[in-house]
Amino acid sequence: MDAFSNLMMGFSVALLPQHLMLAFVGSLLGTLIGVLPGIGPAAGTAMLIPLTFSMGPTGAIILLTALFYGTQYGGTITSVLLNVPGEAASAITCLDGYAMAKQGRAGVALSMAAIGSFIGGTFAALCLVLAAGPLTRLALQFGPVEFFTLVLLGISLLMGLAGKSMIKALMMGVFGLLLAMIGMDPVRGLPRFTFGTMELMDGISFVPVIMGLFGVGEILLNAEKPFAQMVLAKMSTLIPNRQEMRDSLGPVVRGSLIGTLLGLVPGMTNSASSFLSYIAEKKSSNYPERFGTGMLAGVVGPETANNAHANGALIPLFTLGIPASPTVAIIMGAFMMHGLIPGPLLFKDHPGIAWGVIASFYIGNVMLVILNLPLIGIWVKLLKIPYGILSAIILSFTVLGAYSINNSVFDVLVMTLFGVIGYLLRKMDFPLAPAVLTLILGPMMESSLRTSLEMSQGSFGIFLESPVAVVFLVLTAVILIAPSFSFFRKKKQSLAAGEEDLL
Amino acid sequence: MAQYRFHSRIVGFFCVFAVFVLFLPAWAAEFPQKDKTIQLMVHWSAGGSSDTGARLIASGLEKELGTSVVVVNRPGAGGQIGYTALSQAKPDGYTIGSTNFPSAISSYLDPNRKATYNRQSFELLALHVLDPGIIAVKADSPYKTLQDVIAAAKAAPKKLRVNTTGIQTDEHFATLWLEQLTGAQLARVHLKGSAPSVTAVLGGKIEVYCGNVGDPQVRGGEFRVLGIMDSERNPFLPGVKTFEEQGYKIYFGSSRGFAAPAGTPKEVVNILSKAIGNVTKTEDHKQKMLNMGLTLRYLDPAGYKKYWDEFEAKMRDLMPLIQKES
Repeated sequence: MDAFSNLMMGFSVALLPQHLMLAFVGSLLGTLIGVLPGIGPAAGTAMLIPLTFSMGPTGAIILLTALFYGTQYGGTITSVLLNVPGEAASAITCLDGYAMAKQGRAGVALSMAAIGSFIGGTFAALCLVLAAGPLTRLALQFGPVEFFTLVLLGISLLMGLAGKSMIKALMMGVFGLLLAMIGMDPVRGLPRFTFGTMELMDGISFVPVIMGLFGVGEILLNAEKPFAQMVLAKMSTLIPNRQEMRDSLGPVVRGSLIGTLLGLVPGMTNSASSFLSYIAEKKSSNYPERFGTGMLAGVVGPETANNAHANGALIPLFTLGIPASPTVAIIMGAFMMHGLIPGPLLFKDHPGIAWGVIASFYIGNVMLVILNLPLIGIWVKLLKIPYGILSAIILSFTVLGAYSINNSVFDVLVMTLFGVIGYLLRKMDFPLAPAVLTLILGPMMESSLRTSLEMSQGSFGIFLESPVAVVFLVLTAVILIAPSFSFFRKKKQSLAAGEEDLL
Repeated sequence: MAQYRFHSRIVGFFCVFAVFVLFLPAWAAEFPQKDKTIQLMVHWSAGGSSDTGARLIASGLEKELGTSVVVVNRPGAGGQIGYTALSQAKPDGYTIGSTNFPSAISSYLDPNRKATYNRQSFELLALHVLDPGIIAVKADSPYKTLQDVIAAAKAAPKKLRVNTTGIQTDEHFATLWLEQLTGAQLARVHLKGSAPSVTAVLGGKIEVYCGNVGDPQVRGGEFRVLGIMDSERNPFLPGVKTFEEQGYKIYFGSSRGFAAPAGTPKEVVNILSKAIGNVTKTEDHKQKMLNMGLTLRYLDPAGYKKYWDEFEAKMRDLMPLIQKES
């Protein structure tokens, strides 16, 4: 009840007209920044910080946090409509979201994504109020050892992303891992595969790669046909029907849990959350083979997860003052600009600010869903633009977006190169998702493996000392071994069937 | 009458001449011109504390210099992309950049990184922030003093774990210096940044925390700070002794300054350096730095040069130890 009365006090702060307005402005700007490819939540928040210098601390933080979780709503829109991820966490949404748009179900995809996002975000914000203490203790269990085994589990799920050919999926997984090797070695600082260029020392930037693979690759593929033929199916309806609502329940629940839990772990990105949620949906679906052809669960799950992740990442910030993601680190900087140190003392010294900001998360998420649902009707009108013109607009936005990440032409070149690679891979029917998954998880896996070994002075025994790590290792083993059993069983059956035929 | 007129003509001539002579150098060195923008390059992404600090200085500089000062982020390769761009910029004072320790120095001391610049490529303007290093432990740790930690590390070499926030960061150099000075041997774990480091220490995965005075988490009561690597105590950590007071002469940390490309005219350097100094002295700026937990320390070009040379000498001394690790 204590948390409840505190939260009510927070609402009295967050519902002040100026704070409501700031939450609205933040949500709106966040949605727009999410829509623009390239500019992600970190850059958006950073750009806004100087504007908040003159505001009061509560208002400033409400504005910045609303922008932060608002970007997660906006990122979906371009992924579904144009196959260009608006930001990194929405890359996986392209697979089924764009397929749905081609069938004229973009409205349904976006509506359910917005509703899922709302539920995911609100769920994580509820956890912050009700279970922050235990969840924080859970987050503290995650050192390099636990982190490595978790990432290993994530990579072992790669097979879940395979389409028709397992070999092709594995090849793409290795391709992603190889790309992840580029740059300075995380533990010794030696440059690898940089060909003497400074630009490659930090590795290949992730966002230009996915914009190229998905967005530019798609445009190149479409350019093969005359543009006049590129007419998308008629938009049927914006409102999901009962069946679609019911189908989304599972993905929303799983997405909320995956996103919130991974959000707690410092160093885990929300792209990892949305990818793992996608795989979870595919694994738990009765029709895994239909993923990639416009399954609603493949949109709702990841979109729920990345919003839950965004809000979940704020939990360690409030409880311990630990920023679990780069964007949260920027928000933490904003706290400090106003003389506030996030952490347990914040609740004691400035309860009005702490609870006011937390209450604003609920308000912001409600605003976002109200803001986004009517906007969907407008966004889908984008598809009425003739494709010849639309593709030129998309290309110019992706170029601008790639440049804006680091003010660097190099990133534009990376995007172009990966556009061509993406085109060729599509032509040869290679799945893109496994490469993106290993590109996200590869660097995390390498650095956490090597720091774990630094901790144990080289002994692999350290992975068996932590109960959390052992659980993850066992799960990984099960995931890797289980399919081969069913494979043999099937083979036996087919062999048996074959023998019968012979007889 | 005629004589008076002649006299006044001479006086008039001299007056005009004097005015001309007085203002001539001023024309030549009129810096900055009001219609020209000064670019302040920050070699880190927007939104981090280096960036925020530089933006605060930039807005103060606009008032001091009466022209616009724009922050341009050029992140990448641990600052090396930005430092290279700065060293190659036109030396007219309209392009200046941030110089952070230890990255500004380590990037050219490490032969693997093939940097094309060194100290001589820059005209130093001013140092404005010094964030001293610290050693801390979790509040419930058995180690009460720096001596306890060092004794434990000596008793069981390479068993006591300490974090760094990455390869060649100030924590990396500082822990090496501590080992070099005391003969203790720690197990160094290179984590990515201070968030995973704080998590690992609070979660009990790592015993000793190495960081900076400015890390907000160490002031939250979850940590016990054992020593500050500076010549003086720090107002952010009242009651915490320096390393020197405890018998270890170690002075390390990260610092932030500004530099122009080599060849920038002396007068321009002085104008910029003085302007930065004036900004750091305003109450508003002091309050904002205080909020951010950053220790202000202004050094003029001569002082900064001396500090740079001393810092570089120590890093040259420690660099072989880093090379030996790899």
